Amino acid sequence: MNIKLRKTINDLLISPKRTSLVVFALVLGIWGLGTVFVSNFVLSNDLNANYQSTTPVHVILHSSKFEGMDLQKFIDRQEVETAELRDFSLQRIEIYPNEWIPLWLYGVDNFNEMKLARIFPETGKRTPDAGTILMERDCKHVTAIDTGDSPRVRIGSRMTALKVSGICFDPAQAPATQDAFIYAYTDKKSYGQITGLPTNQRLIVRLKNVHSADDVKRVSDMLVKDLNINGINISSVEIPKFNEHPHQWQLNTLLFLVGTIGLLAFIMGAVLVSQLMRSVMASQVRQIGILKAIGGSRFQVFQIYIAMLLLMGFGAGIIAVPLSVATGNAFSHFVAWKLNFNILTSIIPASVYAILLGASLLLPVLLSLSILMKGTAISVKEALGDYGISQGKTPREFKMLKRLPVSKIFILALKNSLRNSRRLAVTILAMALGVAIFSTGFNVRQSLWNLLSNVKSEMRYDVQVVLSRQVSREEALRPFEALKNVKLIQVWNGGRGEIQSRLLSTNKGAGIVALPGNSELLKLKMIKGTWLASSTETEIVMNQQAWDIYRQPAIGSQVVLTIEDKDITARLVGISEQFEKAKIYMDLDRYDALFNPAHLVNSIMLVAKENSYEAVIELKKNIENAIVPTDFQVLYVMSQAERVKIIYDHLNIILMTIVFLSFLVLVVSAIGMASATGINIMERTREIGVMRSIGANPKKIYSLFVKEGMITSILSILLGLLLSWPLSKLAAIFFGNLMLGREAVLQYAFSPTGFVVTVVVTILFGWLASRIPAKSAIDIPTHEALSYE
Amino acid sequence: MNQPILTLQGVSKEFQSKDRTFTALKNVTLSVEKGQYLAITGKSGSGKSTLLNMISGIDYPTNGSILVNGLDIRQLSESKLAKWRGQNIGIVFQFFQLIPTLTIRENILLAMEFVDVIADADRENRVNELLSRVGIAEQANKMPSALSGGEQQRAAIARALANNPEIIVADEPTGNLDSKTADSVNDIFSALALSGKTVIVVTHEKNTALKYHRIVNLKDGEIEL
Repeated sequence: MNIKLRKTINDLLISPKRTSLVVFALVLGIWGLGTVFVSNFVLSNDLNANYQSTTPVHVILHSSKFEGMDLQKFIDRQEVETAELRDFSLQRIEIYPNEWIPLWLYGVDNFNEMKLARIFPETGKRTPDAGTILMERDCKHVTAIDTGDSPRVRIGSRMTALKVSGICFDPAQAPATQDAFIYAYTDKKSYGQITGLPTNQRLIVRLKNVHSADDVKRVSDMLVKDLNINGINISSVEIPKFNEHPHQWQLNTLLFLVGTIGLLAFIMGAVLVSQLMRSVMASQVRQIGILKAIGGSRFQVFQIYIAMLLLMGFGAGIIAVPLSVATGNAFSHFVAWKLNFNILTSIIPASVYAILLGASLLLPVLLSLSILMKGTAISVKEALGDYGISQGKTPREFKMLKRLPVSKIFILALKNSLRNSRRLAVTILAMALGVAIFSTGFNVRQSLWNLLSNVKSEMRYDVQVVLSRQVSREEALRPFEALKNVKLIQVWNGGRGEIQSRLLSTNKGAGIVALPGNSELLKLKMIKGTWLASSTETEIVMNQQAWDIYRQPAIGSQVVLTIEDKDITARLVGISEQFEKAKIYMDLDRYDALFNPAHLVNSIMLVAKENSYEAVIELKKNIENAIVPTDFQVLYVMSQAERVKIIYDHLNIILMTIVFLSFLVLVVSAIGMASATGINIMERTREIGVMRSIGANPKKIYSLFVKEGMITSILSILLGLLLSWPLSKLAAIFFGNLMLGREAVLQYAFSPTGFVVTVVVTILFGWLASRIPAKSAIDIPTHEALSYE
Repeated sequence: MNQPILTLQGVSKEFQSKDRTFTALKNVTLSVEKGQYLAITGKSGSGKSTLLNMISGIDYPTNGSILVNGLDIRQLSESKLAKWRGQNIGIVFQFFQLIPTLTIRENILLAMEFVDVIADADRENRVNELLSRVGIAEQANKMPSALSGGEQQRAAIARALANNPEIIVADEPTGNLDSKTADSVNDIFSALALSGKTVIVVTHEKNTALKYHRIVNLKDGEIEL
């Protein structure tokens, strides 16, 4: 073997603990970064590939006149690539006995010739038999219904059993179960028979030569104009996000966040390596002099130390790269499962492995390059004149400290900590970043807990029944009056969620919630202004999202709202903070006076006497039973407890991942600190010998080094907690968007539990990081310590 | 008279500190012939090691010139100087300065690998030959820490001879050895001089100075005449 390489290997093996520590830290860093890189490679490609495989729709047109349209002539237009009639309506399906959720039912023209918005058969029939449905596979997350089963479906006020003839996959849809509903597909004829609704009401269109949402809008406007001229009146136009999966933004945000943490873990690993190299170069000054004295050029000496880095990087890469590929794939499958798409990448290309291994080799080298350049530039004379490792700068005088009632050992520890201020700064900064990220994980978790608590405390009803067809107040109340465990029933128009916004909203898409102004069932946190007060003037309260849509009008100003083609002017009295889609609240009586002379309602809010989770679920089942004999067209029945549980279940998995990754960063930074403490101690081996020879016992020396470590830990905790404040604020925004939707607001929250855990864990890590090297320091015999160079 | 292998002409060396200038060598002129066994003696701080550093190219003079085989070593770049040193000067240190993580054999091979003047195929044989010459052939595969001080110094001499340099410089090579071991090391240097090598040894041991062809005594940075 090449002697230079032998020296390199032997130098690494001379301190196997330190080398292993660095390789371990580098493995963690590369693993973190590699996982993100691999998952990014897979996910960024596969989600889009899944989406594009459906031949996505550019525009959806609604009209009752499509029956008389020559569809082929429309498709032959130069702007149109293809088009298909595909009806859609919202129904309800029983997923477990007396548990009902919305069913998004599509009527497909021809399953064998789907030219766009394609779905893919998975199990069972490819084309559903007449009168049966295919269910989208994401339903598996919320129900045990499978091919061959015949779940009950409530069509308006009718109840029917619909046989499931197969399971299909629709990768263009947002994952249905995130909002607790199911997609299903049937043929057009069956659709008409099942729903009793007219068919051919909805035209899905894919356009030619469009490159942006603006292009789609422009061409759609033209098409709508032409269709209207030809007597086909278009009642509404929907333009989905252009060429992008509905949850692409969610994936991007997730990858960005995980990427940031992975990158931080990597940087910390790399900083650790550079610290080791600084220590190696410091401990080998004399050897460098000897190497040069016996004929080694600077480049040849440089090669020895570069090889050291490359070997460590290679060692770490060999472990971390396959690990990264495995976890990257696992993470990709997890995300794919959450977002309901297929992983198409079966083999990670060799180039990805090469990039990861290249990064493992090169990045530590790049980060340590200046240290190596400086270390190998030393002249023979300087190197040979070096009396062992740098003793550091002369400790400064701290006259103030002398007056404080602290031990001399503590003052000495503080002075020693400041001897190598650059290393101290790097150590504190690395550790503080770990603390900040770890603490941020907890704070974001707290933000979400607060949000869930707010949802509970703001919405003081236990179960909400939402009807797609309005009924009179008396009719709405009648089925539930005799129910047990009901304390209060109130009727509203509109309500929570996106589906209700579809039923009742302004022309700008803000959902209307008309409720008794003095209702005790909704107590929103107000950011500005007050809640509805006057029953004579039309007042409104907007949540933040609606306020943004209306360009943030001033409190007290008059706002023009267009509802059902009617313009009204209302005074904005307050802005509420709310995790919700855009909503505008107004008094039910005022709403009825303006828009609803028949006093019809669509939401029935029920408050339980006993509101434990089990009691509310029982009440919900009784409500479902009470609905059966009515002719209500129910959209959904949802308990607050379920809603909160669904949200929490979704969030908790991701939050646990974030806390785990944050913990990983903290571990890497603690290893960094252990390494820095080890280097400090190693550099002062001779000093330890001197201290021993003048009477310091091992206990005092141990105590000195542990105190030094603890000073670094405490400074890191202080800085880390300080950094966690802005970081948590930013993270709250990101996570709010990521997990709750683009418009959701997540307020920064301080987690007292997280604070305690962070402080305890960091102090424990700091103690361990100081204790281990300090213990090894006192094990060195005095004579060896004194002769240490 | 042989041609001088080493010529120092008016060499001075000054060290600057914050508040004063210290002159370590003052106008030193010295000529050393090939095959000469030269001792540089003097008290601590007299400039012996500084003079040796000048000769081996480890340090540069403030004034004056140093010619080795007619070559002004100040003209060489740091990198070329390292290679020139490896090829022409064998250095022996007081504290041996073997690379602790390499065996004795590897220490010698490393010096050969750096300079690359000995053919690959000949290196192993040369290592064996050199170790036999200094009497520690059986220690070839041991780590330096497994050897006694005297054996380590012999190994260091073998390493200094790795690339067959014409000049051997040794800075107090016996300063860290007992008298018996020191004598055996001195015998090696004498044998090297007899074989035609130019050997320059810095020493403060007056009695051993008697063995040398020539003794140069330094006092306050000047050659004592």
